This record gives sequence, C-alpha cells and structure tokens, in this order.
Amino acid sequence: MTFRFPYARIAHVLLWCGLAVASLGVSIPKIYSGVTEYPLRPTGPLHTCDSYLKFATGVPCASKDLISIFQSMTASKRIIIFTRKDDAFSSGLGMTTAYLASPHLVRLFEINGTHLDNELSKMNPDEVAAVVFCRVNRPNLFPAGKVFGSGLEVVSTSEKVR
Amino acid sequence: MSALAVLGALGTLLVAGYGLLTLLARKETQLSLTEQIAFSWLLGTGAVSLLLWIFGLFVHGVLLPGLVSIICLSLGFVGWRRMVPRPLRRGRPNPFEIFLAIIIVIEIAIVFYLSFVHTLGWDGLLNWEIKARYAFANGGVIPATYFSDSGRAFSHPEYPLAIPFTELWLYLWLGEADQFCAKTIFPIFYVIGTFLVIAFGRRFTGRTWIGLLMAAFLFFVPQITVEVGSAIAGYADFPLSIFYLATIGCLFCATEPKNDAFFRLYAACLALLPWVKRDGLILWVVAAACGVFVILRTKRASRHFLALFPGLLIICGWRFYLGVMHAPQAADFLPLNLETFGSHLYRILPLLSALLAEFHNLPTWSLFWFVVAVGVAYLLDQMRNPGTPVLLTALFVPIALYLLIYVFSSWPNYLEHVGLSISRLLLHVAPVGFLITILAVSRRRAKEPARVRQRGVVTCAIAGSERTPVVELA
Repeated sequence: MTFRFPYARIAHVLLWCGLAVASLGVSIPKIYSGVTEYPLRPTGPLHTCDSYLKFATGVPCASKDLISIFQSMTASKRIIIFTRKDDAFSSGLGMTTAYLASPHLVRLFEINGTHLDNELSKMNPDEVAAVVFCRVNRPNLFPAGKVFGSGLEVVSTSEKVR
Repeated sequence: MSALAVLGALGTLLVAGYGLLTLLARKETQLSLTEQIAFSWLLGTGAVSLLLWIFGLFVHGVLLPGLVSIICLSLGFVGWRRMVPRPLRRGRPNPFEIFLAIIIVIEIAIVFYLSFVHTLGWDGLLNWEIKARYAFANGGVIPATYFSDSGRAFSHPEYPLAIPFTELWLYLWLGEADQFCAKTIFPIFYVIGTFLVIAFGRRFTGRTWIGLLMAAFLFFVPQITVEVGSAIAGYADFPLSIFYLATIGCLFCATEPKNDAFFRLYAACLALLPWVKRDGLILWVVAAACGVFVILRTKRASRHFLALFPGLLIICGWRFYLGVMHAPQAADFLPLNLETFGSHLYRILPLLSALLAEFHNLPTWSLFWFVVAVGVAYLLDQMRNPGTPVLLTALFVPIALYLLIYVFSSWPNYLEHVGLSISRLLLHVAPVGFLITILAVSRRRAKEPARVRQRGVVTCAIAGSERTPVVELA
C-alpha cells in the first residue's frame, strides 16, 4: 500500500483560498465605504426627485410644488424646457422637470449661449403652457416666474410675455 | 397599510410564478425551497408584467389589476393543486454551512439597507420608473403620447416593460406611485440571485457549501452591491443578469439526458430576457444558440426547438407594438450594416483596450474577473461535457457582441459611451462567472460520470467519485 501526497489537491486549495482572501482584501474597503457613505434619508413617494432637485437647486421637497404648478396648467399644452449645453446639472434638472411635467408634452432645448431667440422663434405661444429655465438665465421678454432655489425657474405663459 | 399592500403585490407575484413553475416542472423533478422561491419570483415578475401589458391593450382602470389578480390567484390555485415536490430533508447542515448561511443573511440585510438609503439611480428613475409612474397615472396603461413625445425620447420609450410594470404592479396595490416602495423589488432580485447561486452550486457539485460560499462572495463584487447600476440602483441590469443566470444555469442542468423540467424552465427564462432590457436581445441570441447546441448534442427531439418560440413572440410583439405607437428609434447607435462596420473598424483596438482596462478595474470588480479567468482555465480540459462549452459561450460571446456593438456607437466620443455603460453590460454575464467558478472550485471531472443523489435530491452533477462523499459511501 503506497501513500501519495495530494500535491494537486493542496495546490488547488491554496490557490482558491489565496484568491478568496485577496478578493476580500480588495473588496471590503470599497464595500465598507459604500455602506457607510450615506445616512438613511427621509422616505416618500417622490424621494428620488426631491433628492435630485435639492442637489441641483438647494430646495427641499420641490417635486410636489412643481407637479402642482404643472397640474394647474392646461394639460393639452406643451412645457418648453431650456437647458444649458455641456452642463450635466442643467441637463439633469431639465429631464427631472420633464419627468414631473406629465401629462404635458414637453420639448427640451439645449442651448449653447445665452441667446434663446432661435429657439423661441420655433415656439407657438398658444401651444405652450410654461417655459422652464434650468440653470439658464431668463430672457427679459419673459416675466418673472416661480423660482426654485438656484437655477430653476418656471414661467407660466398665462403671464403676459413682454 | 403600505407594508400590507407591498406584501400583497409581492405575494401575488410569487403565487403566479409558483403556479407557472408547477406547470413547467410537472412533478418530474424535485426543486429545493430556494429554487422554488427563485423561479417563482422570476416567472411571476415576467408573467405579471406581460399580463399588465397585454390586458392593458384592451382594458384599463380598476379592471386591469382586477383581471391580472384573478389570473395570479388562478395560477396560485393550480400551483396548490400540483405542488412541485421538494427533496427530502437531508441531514443537519454542518457548522460551516450554518456560518455561511448567517453571513448571507447579514449580506442580504445590508443590501436591503443600501437599497433604501440610496435613491433610484438616474436611469432607474428616467428610463424605468418613469414608465411605471405614467402608466399608473393613466389607469395602468402607458399613454400613447409618451411614445410619440420627442421631448421624452431621453427616457427611451422603446425599452421593454418587465421592470417598470413590476413597479407598476406595486403602485396598483399601493394606490399611489411611490419611488421609495418601487425600490423594494431590486434587493429581492439580489435575494433571488443568491438563492440561484446556492441552488446551482448544489446541483452542479452535489455540495451545499460551495453554493453557499459563492453566494456569500456575490456581495463582495462592488459592481453588484454598491456601484452605479448595481442591485441597489433601480436599474434593469442586475435583474437581467439574474434572468440570464437562471437561463444558463437551467440549460446546464438540462444537458443531463431526460432533464426536461429544467429545459422547460430554461425556455421560460430565455423568453423573458428580451422583455427585461433591450440588451437582453443579445443575451437571448447567445442563450438560444446554446440551447440549440444542447438540443443537438443531447439528441433531443426536434420539438425542443419550440423553446425559442416564446422569446421570438415577445421580441416581435414588442417591436410591432413600438411600431404601432410610433416610438422613436434609439439614437445611440448607427445603422447596423457592413458599410458602417467597415468605416468604423478602427475602433476595435481602442475598444479592446477599454474592455481590458475594465476587467482590472479593481474598485468596480475587485478581483472578480481574475478569479473567473482562473476558473475558465480549470474548465478548458472539460470541453467534452456539453455543459462546459455552454457556460464558456454564455460568458464570452455576449462580451464580444457587446464590444462589437460599440463599433456602431453614434456618440461623438464612443469611448465615453463605453466608459458609461461597459461595467453594467459586464454585470449581465457576471453571475455566469460565478457558475464557472463553482465548477472550478469543486474540480468536477467529466470523466467517469456518475449521477449524484443526495438523499432524495437529484443533482445535475456528474462527479468524479473521489470528490463526492455520497458516491464514495456507495
């Protein structure tokens, strides 16, 4: 009867144990920071939108107000949203506003500079319920609208455009 | 009240899924409790979302959830009458298994915590939840104007509805659209993924501890637990990866002769891949090709090719629906033709380089891909077993196809497109990497095949005798 030392088996066990330990060593700091990064936030039906809007404008719980503004407008009319090109915050704010503007149809305009003349010429004022400026300065021809913190302004077209 | 409504919604999903499971398994095979829960959830989410979509073409309002609930309960009744047999209780679990089980429970609790700490991710809100919210506000049906509204093209109206309509099901039970409660379903997919890894680990190797160990390691891949697009973000990528895991795992088990129950489960999970995410179409093609290989290799009757039919029906049905609704075409990719391919061929090398960089992106993947590479090396001498080429194809071909698709990217900076999405695309096949690792760790040999029977439960392990205590005993 001969005894064969199970080299292959030992190598196999060592290899996988080594891989497991190394994996844990690399992963645990990342997972730990991920778990402890954020505290528990307030919950609510619109908690994601509220978080985005607070992040972008600084205003807490703004979603509900935005929804009620849009709901007070004629549903068959469009919402026009201006965002700034190459500005991720502006773009995100625009899309979140579009999300909340349902059931209105929306139109997003991404602008390069501060002049909106070209885009405004494409608008038919009778078909527009509101114009939203996301980190874009409101042109003077529009009256002041409802301002949400820094960077979000909703102008209802029922206000007279100058 | 909200908790009860959420429980009601989840309960009906599981009941419907269990009914379908009993119809598919047909008392032919024993399924453990973890398998029954996992398949019930996957089939339930698929069935309820499909039913909401199909019935929504004809009815809306209170009638829609009413009808779907009746079908769910009817399926539950069928399930109650047919009951999938469970394996007899094996002996007491050993201390190592108990330790691993405790670790997994803690991990699951952390994933639930993380899921509720974080908000829905960007795509989770604007690509997926948006559809659920709009459908809820419109009596359970996505308004036609949503599809044709060019201003909301950013939210990809052409994406399929499995995830949004599972969220919608929750909303219909809750009576309001609630972004916080919608997140409930994503950690459940993590639980299901854990259950499947445990179950397949046991079936592949005949040993429970390997499945438990791998399931515990699922948590330690940052892309699965904490990164963008992970199980906590509300994206469809992780659920898709779990559907893919179920599909490929079942197909592996179906490589055993006469294991038709798993082949039917494979067909059901396969059909749902393109219903979860558009990228699921690529996974469907790969998994279907693997299915054809298994049918031919195991000399199954030609009727088994019908397994591809439900998926084709869903793909064509959804394309037809989008056409009728005048949904905009996705603008992220150029037309797929040889001319575009030829003119963008120069992208291949930078794309390969980006892929390699992603593989050793330690903050995102830890050593996961390195471990999988070692696992693949183990399996290379086992290609005679039909399950091995299935697993390797299921891992590598989607990656190659995903890489190829970026050749057609319409983004001005296509590498930015890659950078934003490659980790999520690799996530789709990551659980298959776990299956490969399970086989490698167990060092299962294809030689001297012997079916392992564990006190009543038939596994799909064809194990080398020196590695399986039960066979040794025999």
